Amino acid sequence: MASDKELSDFLKSVEKRAFKRTVYAVRDEDGALDVVQDAMIRLAEKYADRPAAELPLLFQRILSNATMDWFRRLKVRNSVLQNMSDFDVDAGEGDFDLLESLESADGMLGAESAADTVSRTQILLAIESEVAELPARQREAFLLRYWEELDVAETASVMGCSEGSVKTHCSRAVHALAKALRTKGIAP
Amino acid sequence: MNNKSFSSMVSPPAPPVHIEALEGQVAMRMTAHLNLGAESLPHDITERLRFGRERALARAQQLRQATAAVTSPQVVGLSGRSAVLGNPPSLWLRLASALPLIVLVAGLVLIQQHHDLEQIVAAAEIDSALLADELPPAAYGDPGFSEFLRSVDAP
Repeated sequence: MASDKELSDFLKSVEKRAFKRTVYAVRDEDGALDVVQDAMIRLAEKYADRPAAELPLLFQRILSNATMDWFRRLKVRNSVLQNMSDFDVDAGEGDFDLLESLESADGMLGAESAADTVSRTQILLAIESEVAELPARQREAFLLRYWEELDVAETASVMGCSEGSVKTHCSRAVHALAKALRTKGIAP
Repeated sequence: MNNKSFSSMVSPPAPPVHIEALEGQVAMRMTAHLNLGAESLPHDITERLRFGRERALARAQQLRQATAAVTSPQVVGLSGRSAVLGNPPSLWLRLASALPLIVLVAGLVLIQQHHDLEQIVAAAEIDSALLADELPPAAYGDPGFSEFLRSVDAP
């Protein structure tokens, strides 16, 4: 059973990433704050008696459900059907060389100057923009797998899909991001 | 679109292991940037997140206290039973616990019977006194005799 301190530390460690992840999904800061707060309260109400080790996976699942609930409420409110084209598959990635992208990124590493700081901010904005533009499932898989550092099985569990689907979504997301950033002259 | 190109779009071949590792490295570089972004959130956002976190923690504490309040009497009851009567209580102990109730019911029945008997005895005494008297019982129903009794009693 997680103690109050363990629960507090966990929420503190995860809340900012959860907020950013939700902003990418709902594209509204106030909405994202509502979703994250809702997820934290749901976790505290229903799962505070679980061991601390189970909290990350539970929280990610609750956050995903809370985000879906937000979209449902929005749909009811606006009476507008959500565009499901996010689930479409991008084609034409075959001629992109990921290794080339990684090698050019290595070349950029070094001592950071003021110009580098500005550059880093621009890179961050570009990455955030491209992450927000990813198809929803790809973005979710990418962020859960690489940002929240869940393994493939845990990511599949949170997303409610197969491990193979997670690998495919992640692969496509990484390729799409690297390609988009290279187009902007940025090596991730 | 021919069948070959369609199937390659729907189910692309699984990437080899080294490609996965490469993708992992690129992804980690990107998420390192994202981490920097998450750590430099505006103050108002971090404050609202803190408020939400504290609300959640307060709710968890509230629920824990409520749960503790509900479960603690059960614990006392269970421990009391196991300490005094054993677990589960035997048939004799159950009968013994019912003994005061049996005694009470028996006592009430005895009192009721004694009361009925007293009423019967009293009625019999009145009847025998009336029958043994020189005056016939029908005289008490005569209005003239009643008037006579009142005039005798009056000074």
